[in-house]
Amino acid sequence: MAATPSSEVRSGLKLISPPVFYAILMLAAPLATVLIYSVMTGEKGAVSLPLTLDNYYELFTKPIYRALMWRSLMVSFFVTLATVLLAYPVAYFVSFHVNPSRKSLWLFLITIPFWTSYIIRVSLWRTILGYDGILDSVVMGLGLSDTQPNILSNGVLSIIITLAHAYAPFAVLPIFVSLEKVDRSLLEAGQDLGESRWMTFLRVTLPLSLPGVIAAVLIVFIPTVGDYVTPELIGGGRTPMIANLMETQMLKQRDQAMGSAIAVAAMTIVALISIAFVLWNRRFLGGRK
Amino acid sequence: MTSADQPTMIEFKDVHKYYGDYHALRGINGTIKAGEFFSLLGPSGCGKTTLLRTIAGFEDISSGVIMIDGKDMARVAANTRPTNMVFQSYAIFPHMSVAENVGFGLRKDPRSKDEKAAAVAEALEMVGLKGYGKRAAHALSGGQRQRVALARALILKPKVLLLDEPLSALDKKMREHMQVELIKLQRQVGITFILVTHDQEEALVMSDRIAVMFEGEIAQLADPETLYRRPNSKKVADFIGTMNFIPATVLSEAGDKVEVDAKGLGHVTIDAAMAPPAKGESPVVGLRPETLTLLYDDQKAAERETEGVIDEVIYFGDMTYYDVYLGGTDVEVRLSMRNVPGRPVLDVGTKVRVAWSPSALVLFR
Repeated sequence: MAATPSSEVRSGLKLISPPVFYAILMLAAPLATVLIYSVMTGEKGAVSLPLTLDNYYELFTKPIYRALMWRSLMVSFFVTLATVLLAYPVAYFVSFHVNPSRKSLWLFLITIPFWTSYIIRVSLWRTILGYDGILDSVVMGLGLSDTQPNILSNGVLSIIITLAHAYAPFAVLPIFVSLEKVDRSLLEAGQDLGESRWMTFLRVTLPLSLPGVIAAVLIVFIPTVGDYVTPELIGGGRTPMIANLMETQMLKQRDQAMGSAIAVAAMTIVALISIAFVLWNRRFLGGRK
Repeated sequence: MTSADQPTMIEFKDVHKYYGDYHALRGINGTIKAGEFFSLLGPSGCGKTTLLRTIAGFEDISSGVIMIDGKDMARVAANTRPTNMVFQSYAIFPHMSVAENVGFGLRKDPRSKDEKAAAVAEALEMVGLKGYGKRAAHALSGGQRQRVALARALILKPKVLLLDEPLSALDKKMREHMQVELIKLQRQVGITFILVTHDQEEALVMSDRIAVMFEGEIAQLADPETLYRRPNSKKVADFIGTMNFIPATVLSEAGDKVEVDAKGLGHVTIDAAMAPPAKGESPVVGLRPETLTLLYDDQKAAERETEGVIDEVIYFGDMTYYDVYLGGTDVEVRLSMRNVPGRPVLDVGTKVRVAWSPSALVLFR
């Protein structure tokens, strides 16, 4: 009745072969290419042997790389912080205060910003934040300030605002899911045992929703570190981040080896930070029923 | 067990609760005494859980008064009431250890950390979970979770412990075991226990007094024996245990005696104490299966006997249930006989004599 182990293995391999093929072609091969390029010698538009660590040496010694990497991480940090802090109350409201039959409608409405192309959303933020833009008009009109804030002139701040807006729904959804899983009788138990609503939130709801918060942090942090479009469009390239430097190396300088080295370094740093973050929070991610 | 002169712990005065148009509690009145094991018994949707939740403070009442230990609870929030609850789902905090769960309510307790830890250990020992403190709460079995929930509530020494169908999730053996443990625990700590259950057997086993609820009202509030022997309505009689209902006609009523003619049983005199106030229904007399006995060979009935024919035999091992047509009528009664050596289980169709006692009859009308 049972197939022999070897034939089971064969049929198993057959079953997983499409995704394996996909994974090798689309994920492993490009990654390997970038890794190999990063230790080769770059020439105009080509790479050549011998293998060398010169690219990495340059990366660690020239201050421009460190400065831009640092800026990218800081921007991502603040974008993540802002996104999660703003998304949590939204997710909490939908999970706890919206009629169950309307929850999907609310989630649907939250994704509305996605219906517009990101390029258009960035342009709109330029209009809102720029000199004599909507924000400036409001501030001047209300007499809140004598000078126009012109936030757009502050590259980092306008990048953070734009990115935080773009990633907000990504943060709302995982937090919402983890809040939905919190057994409501636990909240009654918290109050029954003498705690106020606020203390029950701090001692019960918040820790139980942390898996969603951790997911949201990773979902927002990882892609924003490598964001390339926003600095280009919002600051006209005056406030570059690490991805803009990669673009310059790859396409303008045509030094693919150097570009690859930056990519590998950035990827490694993001991976290390993410792993450290997950390990630091692992007690909240443990198995539970 | 409690005596009648015990002080009142909880008092309901005309308590009503509406959910929109739905009238969930329809004028609840009654008192629960200090140190009593009290049960709210009824089918699902009768309002028993709602009533329990109004005591805990999770539900506001629409009108009326709930007093706990002489204080009106109208403006008292759940977290400051002298009650603690064991939830149906146990509501064990999954991100905490057993000890953290049990000590959850001790945050504001002025005692030192060591004293609190000792109190937690003591509470765990009381519920039979000594040494379980460090375990993860989500790794416990159903019975253990329930014990944690009990310890977590009792450690705060509430005046009233509320139990919302705490045994319904356990298997039969475990349930029977926990029933006895809960009774012992209640006697040990002397706290008023209020149990919500739909299981009439559980209520009879565990309670000092029981409030039977139907459709948002208390139908009868009495001790288990009164409830079982002298239910005040056909509905209560039907809900508690098994009862045979036999159509009857009331012949006369004089003083504390009621004369009836019950179909298949004949002319019977019923004590007024066994005839609760009339409700305008067509009269029936009620008889519990164990008050009817089959007579073997030349056994004589102590009081009355009636002939019958066995229609159905249900064998339970220790007991046999017989459904018997009485005296050539279409009135069928169920009776239960203990199976003892030398007394054979009878076959369907056997002609039998059934002994019964008029004092066991209850008249509903």
